[in-house]
Amino acid sequence: MNAMRILVCFKVTPDYEALREADWAAGEADCVSGAGVAVGGTGVASGVETRYVPRILDCFDESALEMALRMREAAARDGVAVGLGAVAVGGREVEPHLRTLLALGYERATRVHAEAGLDFVPTVTASIVARYVQETNKTDLLMLGCCSGPDDSGMVPFLVAEELGWPCLTQVTEVTVLSDDRVRVAHMIDDGLLRMTVRLPCVLGVGNAVVARLRVPTLTDRLARRDQHTELLQATDLGIDVPAELGRATCVLTRLQVIDRSRAGVIIGGETPRAKAQALFDSHLKSMIEKL
Amino acid sequence: MRSLVVLDGTVGTAAQQARALGAFLREGLIGPPAAETLVFYHDERDAGRLVGQAPTCQVRLVKTAAGRPDAIVDVLSTVARDDGNQLFIFAGGYSGTELATRLAHRIGGAAVTDALGIEVGPERLLCRRHVYSNHMVGHFELSARPWCVSINASWDDAPSAVGLEHIVLSDTDETGGTAEADETPFEDLELVEPPPTGDLAQSRLLVVAGAGAGSREGVERIAEAARRMGADFGVSRPVAMSAWAPMDRLVGVSGARTAPELCIVVGVSGAPALYWGIEKAGFIAAIDLDERVPIVKSADAVILDDGVGVIEELAEIIASNRKNVCPDDQSRDG
Repeated sequence: MNAMRILVCFKVTPDYEALREADWAAGEADCVSGAGVAVGGTGVASGVETRYVPRILDCFDESALEMALRMREAAARDGVAVGLGAVAVGGREVEPHLRTLLALGYERATRVHAEAGLDFVPTVTASIVARYVQETNKTDLLMLGCCSGPDDSGMVPFLVAEELGWPCLTQVTEVTVLSDDRVRVAHMIDDGLLRMTVRLPCVLGVGNAVVARLRVPTLTDRLARRDQHTELLQATDLGIDVPAELGRATCVLTRLQVIDRSRAGVIIGGETPRAKAQALFDSHLKSMIEKL
Repeated sequence: MRSLVVLDGTVGTAAQQARALGAFLREGLIGPPAAETLVFYHDERDAGRLVGQAPTCQVRLVKTAAGRPDAIVDVLSTVARDDGNQLFIFAGGYSGTELATRLAHRIGGAAVTDALGIEVGPERLLCRRHVYSNHMVGHFELSARPWCVSINASWDDAPSAVGLEHIVLSDTDETGGTAEADETPFEDLELVEPPPTGDLAQSRLLVVAGAGAGSREGVERIAEAARRMGADFGVSRPVAMSAWAPMDRLVGVSGARTAPELCIVVGVSGAPALYWGIEKAGFIAAIDLDERVPIVKSADAVILDDGVGVIEELAEIIASNRKNVCPDDQSRDG
């Protein structure tokens, strides 16, 4: 029996909620002054300093990783075998997540090493992912988060699909394995929710899926798979010269600007929750609500 | 410099696309005005209406397969090569991102998505767009042409433009092109639901719960308070990801963009991705225990206290006030 081979591509991002207002302002100032490490030539901004910030799984990628595990479990009940692999383009911060995925039953967990500098150049990230898929030749279905990260452009799934010559659906919310070469997909389009059966190979960009959190492996899971190792590749192993690709980038970040979202921020006082609610109602809400 | 606006009339959001594109051309584009609109349609009965919605006077019609972005990209690739167009402007939303990205890749141009505004020069296109999950605006410079730009969904809020006198320059049928139905890997298509967050987008009175609610029970109590005060109810991404509320209640960048007259946020930190969804609110009242969270500065009025307790008190005050003002109105007070 053939197995469906699913590869999930994920990224690890800084937790932006951990940055202070001053950090964003410093990012703007660094761009103006030209401080920081430029990439791809002069006049290219380096981005905000986030090296000290805790790292988290991108939320859409996290959905994709858990979704693939559930697809394998459901397919097994229907007699369809599914193999799972995971790949991330990034630095050493990716490694703990790769080991977690191995503990959860992913058979392959690979990091393609990349230093910072790819954050605002989705074309290079997409080339690395597409080349990895081509070189390994072990993927029928590629799943990845549909956007997020510093750039948040939503372009990577489409670019990978274009490079591979595969069809692509994004904003995917549900996937069910029908056979070793067919899946049933629900995805959001501008008109609403569209369901369709897709013949593989295919790229799926996961959006607001109901499945959102990646399960946590037990200690037993980790011990059972402790002999499995993550794989490390360099972009050059895939035939990609990252500095040269960055130099050829046709869309570059030149400046960052803090957004001023301030409003009055009037603090409503009171001794009790009831008193505060009444004060808010009397001072601001009453007239508005009566007009609604 | 020759620029072209692309309107995807094969989907049900054409009027919204046209309105947003029109506003973008008026207020978001610095540079030579767009020459014409390329309108893709599937059903001939729609063609006249779509022409009337086009944001430029000159219009070209192209008949193509319905719901097939790949077919549109195929046609645009040919147009880009044959007519020397150097700038393509697409609507926002999922479709615009796909079309701009794939077209730029096919024709060796440069793409940028979610544009807040662009400035078109002879050799460079400058673009502003949100980055870092809406924490900042990034300024980008595009070099290689043709440039493919999709606009930010915030342009959807724009009012309709005054009517233009349209001229249809051509009407071609591309349904027999490369995207034959039998080549598609997609089968058994079924459009099952309208956009799920539609009611939130229309809301006038909105309550949004964040992770500060602390638990599923806390979120449910806030939702009940919202119901009592006759408000619509939305949640932040952390709440939806914790499965404390359905994803279709999501407010923010990946959910609904709302513009209520009054928005009450409870236990919401004010992360920019969420704030994007409520920034058009006329008045924002925030209830949170933590005075250090960003929402304290970006709300109009703030109560520093337990969010669930305060919103329940507020619901009771509003419900009782409504009874006093409209004694016969029992409909909103459960």
